[in-house]
Amino acid sequence: MTKKTDNEEHEELVLEPEGFRINLFKKFPLIKKFAKLKGFQFFLILPSLFIFYIIIISGLIGTPLGNRNIAIVVLWILWWFLLIAILVPLLGRTWCAMCPLPWFGDLFQRMSFFKVRTGKTNYLRNKMFGLNLTWPKRLKNIWLPNINFLILCTFSAILVTRPFVSSFVVSMMLIVATVLAVIFRQRAFCSHVCPVSGFIGLYSKTAMLELRSNDKDVCKNCTDKGCLRGNENGWGCPWFEYMGKLDRNNNCGLCMECVKSCPNDNIALNFRPFATETTLKGYDEAWKGFIDVGTSHAYSLIYLGSSGILKDWVNPTQSNNWTGFFTYVIILWLFSLVVVPGIFFLFTSLSHKLANTGRVSRMEAFKAYSYILIPLGLLAWIAFSVPLLLVNGSYIVSVISDPLGWGWNLFGTRDFQWHPVIPEYIGFIQIALLLIGLGYAIYKGFFIGQRLYNSPTAAFRGLIPVAVFSTVIALAFIMLYIG
Amino acid sequence: MKKLKIILFVAIFSLIGCCIGIGLGWTSKKPVRHNFVIKARQYSYDPAVIVVNRGDTLNFKLVSMDVVHGFYLEGYDIDCEIHPNQKTFKLRHPSQGHFWKDTTDFTVIAKGYGKFKYRCSHTCGTMHPFMQGEMIVEPNVPYHASWGGFVGFMIGMISMFYLMIKKKL
Repeated sequence: MTKKTDNEEHEELVLEPEGFRINLFKKFPLIKKFAKLKGFQFFLILPSLFIFYIIIISGLIGTPLGNRNIAIVVLWILWWFLLIAILVPLLGRTWCAMCPLPWFGDLFQRMSFFKVRTGKTNYLRNKMFGLNLTWPKRLKNIWLPNINFLILCTFSAILVTRPFVSSFVVSMMLIVATVLAVIFRQRAFCSHVCPVSGFIGLYSKTAMLELRSNDKDVCKNCTDKGCLRGNENGWGCPWFEYMGKLDRNNNCGLCMECVKSCPNDNIALNFRPFATETTLKGYDEAWKGFIDVGTSHAYSLIYLGSSGILKDWVNPTQSNNWTGFFTYVIILWLFSLVVVPGIFFLFTSLSHKLANTGRVSRMEAFKAYSYILIPLGLLAWIAFSVPLLLVNGSYIVSVISDPLGWGWNLFGTRDFQWHPVIPEYIGFIQIALLLIGLGYAIYKGFFIGQRLYNSPTAAFRGLIPVAVFSTVIALAFIMLYIG
Repeated sequence: MKKLKIILFVAIFSLIGCCIGIGLGWTSKKPVRHNFVIKARQYSYDPAVIVVNRGDTLNFKLVSMDVVHGFYLEGYDIDCEIHPNQKTFKLRHPSQGHFWKDTTDFTVIAKGYGKFKYRCSHTCGTMHPFMQGEMIVEPNVPYHASWGGFVGFMIGMISMFYLMIKKKL
């Protein structure tokens, strides 16, 4: 084993090319004008609220056949694809800005559609209604969203095929979000409970959009701190973020309140390269990456594979195979929470040993390198979602005319035949997506190593096991998709 | 310029990997005839996976074990509707519109390389959109090329960083 030499101590770092930043507020002043509108979020939420009601109603009263009911088709084919393949990688948490679930809670806390109320509530300079309790310190992480996401994944076969169940779950999320808004401060549900928010939050680190302060020094000298505390122009950040310290997309819901409340006009909406942020703060975030890789593997096997046994296992309410279901639950949870992180730990331990600098602990290396699962996991999820849209997207055309499956023919497209789009080329699209994910994982892995060890040679040595792990993960997907 | 050099460098490794992968996975067998009886049930086909060689003649008979199912064979312009307890099934070629004809079987010649899915094209229950089987036409060139290509890509990336450290790239 090579110890770090004096040469390595003084070697020159390989510089990561500095990513561009284009301030969209400056380039397109109309965007800023829109963001500054008091009703900005309301205008974003309004259309999704309308669709949301259609989903709930059609889930409750429409046909139980998922592919004939607009609730399932819009939610799990169209929305899911748009979210994972377009919104998150390009626009980060934009969905959170237009999500209708916390809207009623926001409305209760603010008791206002547009008007900003001034007053004093805890640290805020806005008058807020409700109990305004602090969220428990122990739960100030994304462990709860992680578990909630796994629970949803566990029942995914029932969730994504039964309109009633989808409608019920969405309604329950709305109720929980509203109740939590009555009890706790700001958006406690979005920050610490919502399973989708945890998912979006982690992957929005890769997003090509960020909301940041133009100049951190201006924030430092700002006594108003309107972004965090609110003022007469805008509400205090519902995500508890202070723009002077904001350097991650994880908890920025892009609600644009800070754009309105900043007294120094110091907020920029930047367009930036893909996968710019490469730091994970805690093990909760690392485990989110493992869960997402684990579940996307499981989903690919179950929903894109040919095994009837697995489909019976995940669908116990119809197959009555409860033994199979519990076997599946145990395998899914063990695989996502223990096996994937366990294997990753072995690889990062080897990486740590090879780097051999003594600068950081094995666990620090494990946590830092777990970032590589984010670009890889995101692209794997997109690769999983592509066939859902291309193969089953034609259902959208028919359900638009017959949203409830009652035989209506509103636009004359009810009888549009199911027609998969370029199904024989989907595998090639998946290969390309996984290759991009692998490329980012390895590329970012090197610079993470360099940041950890402060030495390009140690980073290079440490990269080898990490690159092998990423390649094995990508090849496991390839095996499922085209093998 | 440097960016282009790096991309080319990694691409060459990937390409070499692809070629090695294809070479290792290549098989060439004399075409033979296969007779398949595909049984459809909620929500799978039996056999779920069939492996054939390019150029083989494939004869399919389709049977439904429970409800009405479909059989859409990707890349072969074949779509069938299979009713339970019937020896015949309906067949159409989607590119020619909705002209169904009753038949007891159909025959195709295995073409292309790799995985072609057969999917249920007739709503058969809650899990219908996920009902599918796989026909693998050997040699599975995309799969072997991907294996080699991904490994080559990884080696290329690692080598790229090595050369960057040594200031040779």
